[in-house]
Amino acid sequence: MSQLSDIPVTVTVLQAGADAAPHGRALLMELENQLRDLVEQGRESSIDLRSLPLSPGDLAFLEQHLGKGEVTAEVSALGPSTVQETAIHGVWWVRHYNSNDEVMAEFLEVTQCPDIIRAHPADVRDSLEDLRARLVELE
Amino acid sequence: MSKRPTVAEHLARQGVSRRAFLKFCAATASMMALPPGMAPAIAEALGQRRRPAVIWLSFQECTGCTESLTRSHSPTIESLIFDVISLDYHHTLQAAAGDAAEHHRERVQEEFAGEYLLIVDGSIPIADGGVYSTIAGMTNLQMLEESAKGAAAIVAVGSCAAFGGIPKANPNPTGAVSVADIIKDKPIINVSGCPPIPVVITGVLAHYLTFGTIPELDKLGRPTAFYGETIHDRCYRRPFYDQGKFAKSFDDAGARNGWCLYELGCKGPTTYNACATTKWNEGTSWPVESGHGCLGCSEPDFWDAGSFYKAVSMPISDLGKLGLAAAAAGAVAGVAVGLHNRHVKAGAKAAHKPLTADELEGDKS
Ligand code: SF4
Ligand code: SF4
Repeated sequence: MSQLSDIPVTVTVLQAGADAAPHGRALLMELENQLRDLVEQGRESSIDLRSLPLSPGDLAFLEQHLGKGEVTAEVSALGPSTVQETAIHGVWWVRHYNSNDEVMAEFLEVTQCPDIIRAHPADVRDSLEDLRARLVELE
Repeated sequence: MSKRPTVAEHLARQGVSRRAFLKFCAATASMMALPPGMAPAIAEALGQRRRPAVIWLSFQECTGCTESLTRSHSPTIESLIFDVISLDYHHTLQAAAGDAAEHHRERVQEEFAGEYLLIVDGSIPIADGGVYSTIAGMTNLQMLEESAKGAAAIVAVGSCAAFGGIPKANPNPTGAVSVADIIKDKPIINVSGCPPIPVVITGVLAHYLTFGTIPELDKLGRPTAFYGETIHDRCYRRPFYDQGKFAKSFDDAGARNGWCLYELGCKGPTTYNACATTKWNEGTSWPVESGHGCLGCSEPDFWDAGSFYKAVSMPISDLGKLGLAAAAAGAVAGVAVGLHNRHVKAGAKAAHKPLTADELEGDKS
């Protein structure tokens, strides 16, 4: 099956003024609210970027104003996921891709560490068994 | 009773880690238009739910709906949902299997009576005894009635199954009707669109799979999570509409600047669907973003609703409020983006009157 990327189309994003990012500022204000909750009450939250009517300009606006932080991580689980801390500590840009590298879900997570990074206790327990089995094999 | 594994067991058997399962749940929540915080609840529900049996019947249709679903995102989380959902019978995909496939359908209907999910695409022709569309010697009408009997619920996929669609368009030579016109005693979920957005189809199936319940529906039987708002309410060109900036032809300066397509016949204001947020082709774009107005494909009788290139009429009383609502949206939190038009909708039932650009210009605030 041919992929979208195989079709020779050039996309030009309009460079208009404030019109290009009508929702950018509102989203930054929402993040300000969520970050305040994290600081004051330790409450984690996130924004599902795919559920909002964003223009391409909005996303560019967000990328520009959130910037790139210290942590970049890649997870491979049912296709890759990328986790990027923004220059605003505690605000993470998480993108879940499928095995065709198409974005399946995209979130801005407001947390100390996104869940997708942590090892799940049940997986850790299973791995303990696994490691022991490997040791037995070595004997 | 079915002894099918639970969804979580099924995924674990395929070597899916908990971390991957979490991602699956996060993507599923997004697909179901649920808040991201719902992912753990989804994970828990999927740990208990058994895989449901599913029968898919294709009647008088163009296969566009099945294409929309199977050609999208493959292999993906959606296809994983499909894999999990266990499609027992799909007669478009199984056309070559003939008799054996028909017997399999009958077996599933017996073994899982009262439990299976029935998915239907295509309308049902009932003129002249239903002769215009038959499968394995049965008319579509007979097959629908037979398969609906033991179904726990029915999902009508596409505008044809939901409302009659293009086969029902004037003069409707085959007497095409919708599923709900025939089946009166089962819960029916209408997933309209010509075709419906693939993630909306899978989102609805995922909802049923996860919670085992019918999602909240609007008065046309469509899940409000996806059909709760108009294209226009969530259109990124909406600020231009509110400012009265309209493209007057497909190649004028307004069109090049991405202005509103209302005057070029966009049916966004009267069309309930999720295109503006979920978009099409792996989230690449959607009709309005590509420069063409919405055709209104998820509404009943959209084919006969007048020209695709004639402006829809809007109740004039809405106008004064629109500019204000849009201005307020810039000041409130991001989650409210696109939700700001909800409160003006109640008044939209007033007498419809065609609207000109001049009137809009004069009314902007
Ligand atoms: S009329 Fe169409 S293009 Fe204009 S804002 Fe509404 S949905 Fe968007
Ligand atoms: S934009 Fe309108 S016509 Fe086009 S697919 Fe969406 S609902 Fe249908």
